[in-house]
Amino acid sequence: MRNQPASVQYPSSLLNAESSPKNGGDTPVTGVHEGPSDVHPFTARPKNPHQRGGWVRGHQKDGGGYAKEMSKYITAGPFARARAAEVSTMLKAVTKTTGSCHVFGALPKHMRRRAMSHNTKRLPRRLRDAANRMAGSKKKKEQAKSKSRKARRRHGNLLLEFNRRQRKNVWLETHIWHAKRFHMVKKWGYCLGDRPTYKCYRPSYRAMSSHCLLQDLSYYCCIELQGEEDKLLASLSQLCSKEAGPTFAAAVCLSGRRQGSVVVYRAGLYPSQPLGPVTFLWRPRTQGSAHRQLWIWAHPNMKQDLLPELQAVCQCCEAVVPPVLPVVTPAEVVPTVEPEPKPEKTAEAKQVTGTKRKRTFKDAGGPPAKKILGDGTRSPTTSVTWKSSSNGIVINDLTMEIVRYRLIGPQSHSVLAETMEPATDCDVRIMPSSLWWPEHCKNQSKMNLHREQADVFHILKGLYSTGELPSGTVLGLTVDDPRLTLPTKKVKALPCVKQVDEEKTRELMLRGVPEHCCQSYLWEQSVRDNVTENKISEQELNRMRSEVLVPGSRLSPTPLQGRVPVLLVHQPGKQLGHEMSSWGAGWDLLLPKGWGMAFWVPLVYRGVHIGGLNMSLKHSQNKGAPHFPHDYPDCPAGVRFQEEQETQLLDKFKRRPPAKRTNYIKHGCLAPFCCPWQQLAEEWELISRQGGEERKGDQTQTTAEADALMTSHGDIPVTKPPSRVTVLRNRKSLRVLSGWCRPTTSKGQRRCRVGEVPPLDRLALTSFLTAHGMSLVWVRLSILSKGKPELHAMVCAPTAEDLKLLKKESFSGPQEPTHKDHFKSRIRRRKKAPKKAATSSLCRDKAEGKESELPSSPSHLVVGLWPDPLPSVTAHCSRVTLGWVTQGDFSLSAGCGEALGFVSVAGLLNTLLNQPMEHRGMLLLRDPTSLHYRFAKINIEV
Amino acid sequence: MTEPRSPGMSSIQTAPVHADSTPPAVEMDPVEYTLRKRLPRKLPKRRNDVYVNMKTDFRAQLARCQKLLEGGGHREICVHGLGLAINRAINIALQLQASSQGALQLAANTSTVELVDDLEPEDPDEAGEPMTRTRNNSAIHIKVFYPDPQGP
Repeated sequence: MRNQPASVQYPSSLLNAESSPKNGGDTPVTGVHEGPSDVHPFTARPKNPHQRGGWVRGHQKDGGGYAKEMSKYITAGPFARARAAEVSTMLKAVTKTTGSCHVFGALPKHMRRRAMSHNTKRLPRRLRDAANRMAGSKKKKEQAKSKSRKARRRHGNLLLEFNRRQRKNVWLETHIWHAKRFHMVKKWGYCLGDRPTYKCYRPSYRAMSSHCLLQDLSYYCCIELQGEEDKLLASLSQLCSKEAGPTFAAAVCLSGRRQGSVVVYRAGLYPSQPLGPVTFLWRPRTQGSAHRQLWIWAHPNMKQDLLPELQAVCQCCEAVVPPVLPVVTPAEVVPTVEPEPKPEKTAEAKQVTGTKRKRTFKDAGGPPAKKILGDGTRSPTTSVTWKSSSNGIVINDLTMEIVRYRLIGPQSHSVLAETMEPATDCDVRIMPSSLWWPEHCKNQSKMNLHREQADVFHILKGLYSTGELPSGTVLGLTVDDPRLTLPTKKVKALPCVKQVDEEKTRELMLRGVPEHCCQSYLWEQSVRDNVTENKISEQELNRMRSEVLVPGSRLSPTPLQGRVPVLLVHQPGKQLGHEMSSWGAGWDLLLPKGWGMAFWVPLVYRGVHIGGLNMSLKHSQNKGAPHFPHDYPDCPAGVRFQEEQETQLLDKFKRRPPAKRTNYIKHGCLAPFCCPWQQLAEEWELISRQGGEERKGDQTQTTAEADALMTSHGDIPVTKPPSRVTVLRNRKSLRVLSGWCRPTTSKGQRRCRVGEVPPLDRLALTSFLTAHGMSLVWVRLSILSKGKPELHAMVCAPTAEDLKLLKKESFSGPQEPTHKDHFKSRIRRRKKAPKKAATSSLCRDKAEGKESELPSSPSHLVVGLWPDPLPSVTAHCSRVTLGWVTQGDFSLSAGCGEALGFVSVAGLLNTLLNQPMEHRGMLLLRDPTSLHYRFAKINIEV
Repeated sequence: MTEPRSPGMSSIQTAPVHADSTPPAVEMDPVEYTLRKRLPRKLPKRRNDVYVNMKTDFRAQLARCQKLLEGGGHREICVHGLGLAINRAINIALQLQASSQGALQLAANTSTVELVDDLEPEDPDEAGEPMTRTRNNSAIHIKVFYPDPQGP
């Protein structure tokens, strides 16, 4: 009624009959309404006077009033004019929108639908126009019209889109497979699967311990070194030390029969400044040539540190432009192998020019986009090869050139044996072909080698567990395309322990794979490129399958392209310690790039579980091995990781409302997010030195010798404690330390050979600390009672009373008294301060003066966290802190809570010295969010 | 091969070596090998095979055998023990027999199992061949079974 025209005047008398044609034509509603009243204007009136309200509505207060004024006839002209005016005002009112009036307000409630205001198509059609008119005025901006789904999904466009999306973070070849099933994370310049979207923590563990777990490790970077053996070794020996275990020169590894692993340091700086762990693989020697090839596999996070270091020690500063690779692909095969993906990357930015260039580049009209194989982020001008003019060493960055899959578990060899079949040799009479395999078939010695390798591979089937083999064994092989033998259904690969040949199996178990069988054509770039280029596409393969006479049978003459050189590398399982030995052993499968999915799907069809980054963390946790980069706090990559982790955890913490946050100050936890290793080591260094000086006073005799030792060390500048904290990796020292940690009267003691380790006394301690005072040591702690250690849990030393109480059965561990949060009141005061500021600025100045005495400015205070300059980390709680946990969880293999972490060597030794013999190695563990200490047994495994 | 390599190595390593080799407490015995025992060779396991170890609680292992015989519906089970666990395997078998009031019978077999040890040299550059050592250990396989009713 709001928009009712007020100006409409009704003439004195109206004749309905005259007005009806016009009214009826204009607005049918009123026309129908008026219909009956037109026929009997007078007869109808007395009976039902209100019906007239149809056309005089709202005018009269009482309907009966009309009866007197009603004339017998009306004049047509004024009546029509009045109607016309009425209609026009009505129409005007209808078109005008006011306020929040929605079109669907016109609809009855039961016809309204959700989101009608957003999507006009949800309205009935008759209201749609009006709604569109309203929406049109409101719509802010038109969405950029994207291509139709069909166009977007067209293969070439899809590939362009994929290539665009992996410009920043490279995709592995299995990316799309993973992206459908995994939570993906962007890390280290790659898109990696973190954990599956389905629940499979325990099944994955079970797969690792009883069947097989598969991981894609292609993101590991491979760096190839070529050169004379002596020169390579001389250069590389600067990077590592024999004290920390086998080096690059270890005889077994040097022959190419085993894969080795080593922690790399900055050149000549051992034991300070480590870079991180790498694994390496030498190519077996070829007769009469001192030229060797070495692959170093490193984590992508440490590549930026490692590569310059390698270039420095090898004096390889001369970058080689990519097209002039030292090993060039056979030119006649595919001339545009290498540069092919490179113009593509520019093409994404400026498509028009890109396609033009392509047309000139390639005569045949191929697909518009080519899938990037290998590293897509690398700009085409960046060099991947460096050469040394002085010693002839060539460094080649093979990142993303080789696919690496890891199979973990005792059945991984049966999975491999079922998936892959040694390549069938082809007819030698075939004309010279561009493919590599027919050429190889012509060479008898090469075929003999292939047969021998195939024999070894067959023996592998006869093993029951992967752990039976010598660790790090390498086997080169050439296999058929595994897609040809893909089962129709997922099957679980089981070992078939036929009595293959007892003698041969035994030989394999004892000696490993003979040296010449470790040779593989995967080492040769020409073969790799050939294989990658000539891979049969999935589409082509399916077409060939469809043409097979018996559906589902194998393609009878195996296509010539389907021979792939691979390398199988045995991964040792748990090697440290005595329990669960060789748990988590497995095989690594190395493939040429481009063949990733061709092997991945057949492997998955053999009933393996797939793990992501999370599972590799759990794998190393169960092995008790430090995981890179989490557990390398002294490496640059580890430091970077720690900072990242701290910001992540802090952000997560700050997202909670302050009242719901854990108050770490009250829990006496100084560093819940980042462990201040440097501060810890420095404090313990100080404590142990002070302790030594105190004792000097009362027992001069014993310290005299120690003193002499110390002074003798003092002469040598190297023995001065390094300023930076390092992790102790010296094998001998670790072994000594490990012996000291064990209680001497216990069941576990039986195993260790007595007499090897000198007894722990003050003198031994002093001399040990002189060398490793600033070091941390990697320890495994197993909790005695219940409790699950968490990340950054504190490792503390029990007091003598705690150890006495330990004998009682019911005693689960001491409690930490709640600390007082002094900062909370300060934060509160700071909040109040601005209010007071207006009234008394003097008072506020005073308060600020007080706060400036505090360790930090109040603006950086976060409720529940210690502000930055931490107080003494060792003596903050009632029990002395020795270190922190970097990985902690309930261990499914041990059946109790297990923690891995670092403790300060100085702190540990001082604690051990004061402990009674039977309780030696008993420490306390406390979660950051808990006040309860739990007893844990320390283990240092060498 | 080794001669030209060694000078390069030693020149680099002199400094750090000195730091650790001097303390007398850290000296090891001259035979510098680390012994690593490999796991005994496993054979495929049927459901009624019980491998006895020394880590698991005795009662738990006994209960497992009883469960197999009574609830599991197996007419016979095999109890295997190796080395130190031979004693325990015999114990379990005898306990089973005693608790069944003579319904169960035992048949014991002994065998010798070849075990492999890896010897890792401390100075890996010197040793040419990776050292492995085989040694033998005794094992026992006890068949615990209900005798056939129609037999006697």
